[in-house]
Parts: sequence; structure tokens; C-alpha cells
Amino acid sequence: MVARIDHKECIFEPGECIVTVAARNGIEIPTLCHYEGLCGLGVCRVCVVEMDRKIVPACITKLEKPCEILTDSERVREERGMMLALLRKRAPNSEVIADLAERYHAPDLPRLTVAEDADRCILCGLCVQACKALGSSAIATVMRGTKKKIGTPYDDISNACIGCGSCAQVCPTGSISVKDENGVRKIWHKEFRLVFCKRCGALLGTEKMLKKNRITDALCSDCRGYDTAEQIHQVLSK
Amino acid sequence: MKTVYVCCGTNCLAAGAKKVLSELRQECAGMEAEVLPRIKETGCSGFCEYGPIVTIADEGENDITYYRVKESDAAEIAQKTIAKGELIPRLCFHKDRNQPVASKMENPFYSSQKKIALRNVGLIDPADLQDYLARGGYEGLKRALELGSEGVLEEMRLSGLRGRGGAGFPTAAKWETGAKQKEFPKYIVCNGDEGDPGAFMDGSIMEGDPHSVIEGMLIAAIAVGSEQGFLYIRDEYVHARRSIGKALEEAKKAGFLGRNILNSGFSFDAEIVRGGGAFVCGEGSALLESIEGKVGEPRHKPPRTSEVGLWRKPTVTNNVETLANVPFILAKGGKAFAQIGTEGSKGTKVFAMVGKVKRTGLVEVPMGITLHDLIFEIGGGIKNGRQFKAVQTGGPSGGCIPQSMLDLQVDFDNLTKFGAMMGSGGMIVMDDTSCMVEVARYYVDFLCEESCGKCTPCREGLRQMRHILTEICEGRGQDGDLETLERIARTMKDTALCALGRTAANPVLSTIRYFREEYNAHIHDKFCPAGVCSKLSVFKIDPETCVGCGLCSTLCPAKAVIGEAKHPYRIDPQRCTTCGSCRNKCPKKAIITERRGENGSKD
Repeated sequence: MVARIDHKECIFEPGECIVTVAARNGIEIPTLCHYEGLCGLGVCRVCVVEMDRKIVPACITKLEKPCEILTDSERVREERGMMLALLRKRAPNSEVIADLAERYHAPDLPRLTVAEDADRCILCGLCVQACKALGSSAIATVMRGTKKKIGTPYDDISNACIGCGSCAQVCPTGSISVKDENGVRKIWHKEFRLVFCKRCGALLGTEKMLKKNRITDALCSDCRGYDTAEQIHQVLSK
Repeated sequence: MKTVYVCCGTNCLAAGAKKVLSELRQECAGMEAEVLPRIKETGCSGFCEYGPIVTIADEGENDITYYRVKESDAAEIAQKTIAKGELIPRLCFHKDRNQPVASKMENPFYSSQKKIALRNVGLIDPADLQDYLARGGYEGLKRALELGSEGVLEEMRLSGLRGRGGAGFPTAAKWETGAKQKEFPKYIVCNGDEGDPGAFMDGSIMEGDPHSVIEGMLIAAIAVGSEQGFLYIRDEYVHARRSIGKALEEAKKAGFLGRNILNSGFSFDAEIVRGGGAFVCGEGSALLESIEGKVGEPRHKPPRTSEVGLWRKPTVTNNVETLANVPFILAKGGKAFAQIGTEGSKGTKVFAMVGKVKRTGLVEVPMGITLHDLIFEIGGGIKNGRQFKAVQTGGPSGGCIPQSMLDLQVDFDNLTKFGAMMGSGGMIVMDDTSCMVEVARYYVDFLCEESCGKCTPCREGLRQMRHILTEICEGRGQDGDLETLERIARTMKDTALCALGRTAANPVLSTIRYFREEYNAHIHDKFCPAGVCSKLSVFKIDPETCVGCGLCSTLCPAKAVIGEAKHPYRIDPQRCTTCGSCRNKCPKKAIITERRGENGSKD
């Protein structure tokens, strides 16, 4: 089927999201809470586009029938700008947000105020999704409304956390702090001993990660591959 | 044989109805057989402000209804009215000072109501299935079983019933979408998570007529092809949960629920799910998340929940009041229902009328009634002889409608057109002592706490709006504030994830639309004309009008009223918190609002 995105005819399979089809056709739509491989959230609303004169989030709206989409109409620019103006006050220390706000001409409304305890987090919840997808579910969104935040249960040390750092990896604004120092990783109020490859010294992850994934030989995949090849070579040469 | 109905709705219970009931039972226990009455403990009869309410009906059409009955009145009622049929004028409703009204139907609060959803509430004992059956209960189910899915859908289409939960989506269309789905199992969910401030109609129906809700669910299940239902009831509704729980048991025992209902081969069962107390869980998809045991946050739509709902199966969610209308439609026919109401909104609507109106309570009226009739005919006008200012409809998603629009006919489309919303039917009447900026701030504050906080526009937009409105209420309003508010509101309306966020700006937009002057007074003159915003206004006693009765001085919690009896009193602005206790009670209306000057400033 064919959808017209910014007057360009784009072929799509029914069920594909607008953002995917647009990217394939070289049309860029800014996103924050969208991450390939994790289920769509559609909460940051920076990716809003106009679809048949209705404003929809491009990251989770599926194309089902031919339609007209505008990713840069005046209305879209206005709403996207406002969204970034609001997010700038939620995450005043985030460079990503500041850059996007400048690029998309977020209006400078003097009456908007910075949120209490605001830093870099935009509360998109990607970290929570990643943690859940990897089987730990150590963090979640806590409270609701304007008091919402991301955290471990009761802001305490979580037994479920394995220190994999996936949450920090997917975070669009670099808001989650992970510190690897002296063989120790600090994340979510917790410390994890880091394990390195006994052959080449490459970082393998935390002890808890290895335990969960039942890796016992403390070798990186490269070195393990090398070992296996060595063994095969020995068998063959005999 | 006479029947005595003692209203035991939540409000009457709070006013001591249980004591009246037990006292009446005791008084009547020793009566002779020919005058011995049946005493029934019923659900809410609507006129909550005048509770506890006791109605004594004979076998014909006649009744005598008493209001604000006390425990100590029981003996007199038993001896005079129950035994001899004598009227006790003291306990009657009075149209005028000396005109006691005996029958409920002569009481202007009841006489122009038309009851469909509330048809049994207040007239049956909710714990007694026989009472429900005696008033035609489960006749709708029997007819639905004969008609089958397509027949029920046709009847619903004819009725034109629209969802009573707020959005007014046509019920028949929702059921049809559910019926078309090929996935199984399908679920029927009853949304009893009523959370609008001031609304209590769903609670009253669940308490007073639980079987009608269950019957409505059964009929929906026949139409959709479902075998399992859930009743999601908010945690605070203890009585409603108890009543529904008992009704589910009774219905199962009598064969209206469970396997092979009435030997038709059709099976359906339902269970109660307790809500956790989040307002946002009244939103259809957040409610389903909550039933699944997840955080109550709305889902992205499409797909609609009737296609992909509970545990990703087709789920039809209906509001309590919607379901309570369904048995009537099936028993009396969709056409009979469609004769009531307006072109686009058929049937009746239950409103919870509260606020500064003389007679507060639950009223059910045909769609299309004017606001004027509702507030002034049924509600009896404004309390304490004050001026009507606005009526807030539809809860936090609704808006405020001013005096100039009192002739507006109430239906789904009209209210939306004028910036308000039907919502679930909460109706808060406000007089000239209400500040509309403060009202907007109150609702935005409520939503700041109750928004799920998932999407940016709702969470951040509400926070910014609350800040600006607080600034305005505290005298730090600036030029351009209204434009900023409107700008944020537009974005929320366009881009929020769910209906809560998309309508959250309505209280702000509607007050700006109809009360811009009042906003300007706050922003430019730093004055709150209604005398609510205490940083902007002080109360003053007009020495010309004051007769020196001293009531204000007694009532003032801040001890700000100074003076001596029989001389005009004075208010110390330094101490006055503008709580309004004096103004509400002053018999001469001598208390006026003034701008809080530099000297009077508390800071």
C-alpha cells in the first residue's frame, strides 16, 4: 500500500509504524522514547505528525490504509515545539533536549518553570521497558501525575538488579548514572563486582549478570571462539 | 398492607438512617396484624440533602414521605401514620411555609423526574432478589435470550443509547465491534470506578439496584458472545461492593448467572475487582491494565479495547448507568427508550446535583431538559438567596457554564459544543461567592495528582498550568498568562495520550471563555471579586447594613470580627483568612469584598 508522507509516495506493509516507513524513505522524525526492539510507548510525544489532519505519535501509530501524512506542517511544528519547551523544563540539564529544542524552535515561554528535582530524566520509561524485556524488572515508574519518577522499589537496593546497565544504554538523555571504577560498577544505589575476560581482559559484565546467564568460564566471546578453534585444530592434527 | 421504605443510601446512612430503621422495626413489631407494615431497607432515593427519608406507601398509588427523620420520630410515625394514616406535617416537605406536601410525587424535587436507570433505586430492597423480580427484573434477560445476539443489537440500535460514562459513545456500536471479533474469550467489564468530584450516581445504582447492573451485563454478554464479566468497583465504595457481591450470589442461586442460564445453553459469570483508588483507572484502558494487575496507565488507541482489551482479548466496557438502562430497553423495547430525549441523545440522564443549590441530590431527567429547569425547578434555586454564577458539569474533564446559557438544553452534543462535557453527570452549582479562577486551579490541581503521568503534554502541561493559575490566584499574574494557558491547553488537547489528558484543560478553557473579566481582575487589578483568593481580597462589614447581631463574630474561626452587640462590627484584615464563614451566614448580607490593599497585606 502507499501512504503519502510529506507529499512523497511511500510503500508500506499494513501494520508498519509511521516512523519506520518514514525512515526508510529518508524522512526524519525526531523521537526520544522510541527504541527498535522494545515495545512502543508513545509517551514523549515529540514524534507527533499530522495524519489525515489528526495529530498522532509516529512511533506507535500503525499504517493500515493509504493516508496523507505531514511531518513538518505548521501545526506539527507548533505542537512539537511546545512539547520540547515542556520537556526542557522537565530535563533542564539534558543536552539532547536542549539541542532538539533549539533545532525545532521550541517557544521560549517565560512563565514555564523548571520541575522540582529536575535533572535529565524525561520520564519516558524506556529504561523500565528494557529492564523488563531483559527479565529483571528491577525498576519501575513510581507514583503518578506530576510526582511520577523512575526508581527501584522504595528507592532501596534492588535484589532483582543485576547491574547490566541496559537501562542506561537505552536512556535517550543519559540520565541514569553508571560508574565503573576499580573493578566495581555503581548503579541504582548498588555496587557490583565487574568480571573481565581471563585471557584478554575485556569487560564481561557484572558477576550477577554472568551468574544469571550461567556463564562460568569467564571468557569473552572472542577468546572462547579462539579456544574452540584451537581444540578443533588439535583434534584434526592428531 | 402498608410498605415502609427507609432510605439507606450512603448519605442517609451517614445521617442516621440505620437507627431510624431499627427504631421503626421495634415500634412496629407489636402492631396488630391488619396494620403491620412491611419495612424495607432501600437504596438511595435521591433527595440526599433531606435524608434520612421514610416513605409509607399503601397498596394503591398513595404515599406519605417524611424527610430528615430522626430516631425519636419513629414512635410517632408508627402510631400516627402507619397505624392510622395520619399526616405529621412537621416531617413533610414544605412547598411554602404552611403547605406540607404528603406524597413524594407532589414534591417538586421528584415530580419532574423521569426514572429509567434509577427505576428501582429506593423502591426495592437491594438485598432481596424477589423485590427486583416483582418489578419486572430479569424480564430483559429473558427477552434477550429469545432474541439472540443480532436481535439484541438491533434493539440497542433502535434505542440510540450512548455511554453514560462521559464520552457518549453509542453503546450499540461498541457491542457490535465486540460481537464481530473472532478471538475468544471475550470479556464484559462494568466500569464502577466513579471518581468525578461530586458524582455519586453509579455508586447509588450499585447500592440500590445491583441486579439491574448484572442484568445489563448479561444482556451485553449475549450480544457480544462473552462468558466472563468483571465489575471494577472503586475501593471507597464499600456498600456498593457489598450490595453487588450479595446480588451476584443471589443471581447465581436463582440460575440467572453461571452455567446454562435459564436452560438456554448460554453461560456467563461475573466477579468483582476492587479498584485501587486512582482516578485515571476510570479511563477504559487504564481500568483494564488495573484488572490485569499492572499500573493503571491508559493504552495507546487504536486498537480499541473492544478489539484488543483485557489480556489482549476483545473487551466491552460499559459504565454502571449505561448497563442499568439496558434491561429497560430490552424489556420495553428500544423504540420506547428512543421516544425520550433529544435527537442525538436518547433517554434520560442521572445527575448528581451538588453545591450551592437548595436541594442537592440525585436526579434523573430526560435528555434535553434546560439547565434552568434542572437547577431552579428541581433544585429549587440558589441557597441563601444568593446569585447563580456558573454550573460545572462533567467533573475535571468538563467546564463551567455561565448564567447567560441557562437555557441550554442538556445533552451530549450541546455541552461539548459549549466547552463543557456531560461526563458522568456530576453537576456542581456555584453562586457569586465562587471564584472561577480558583475553580480552574482546583481542578488542575486535582488532575496534577490524578493524571497517570505517562505522557508529556498531560503531566508537564498540567504542572505548568497549575503554577500559572496559582500565581494568578496569589496576585502575581502577568500579561500574557492567559495566552500561555491557552497555548498549553491547545497542545494538551491535540497530543495527549488518553481522554483524561485531552480534556484536562477544559475547566481552564471554559472559565477563560466565559469569565475572562474575572481573570483580568486577578491579573491586572490584583482583586478577586468573589472574595475567595485571600491574598487579593478582604472582607469588610458594611456599617450601614450591619445590625450588630454578632453572628459573624461568633462564627469567625480566626477571631477577626471585632465589635460589640447592636453596633456595626468590623473585620480585622490582618487576621481575616476570607474563609467566608461570616458571609455565608450574615442575615443582612452586610459582608462585602474589597481589594486587599498594601496595608491589609498579610505578608
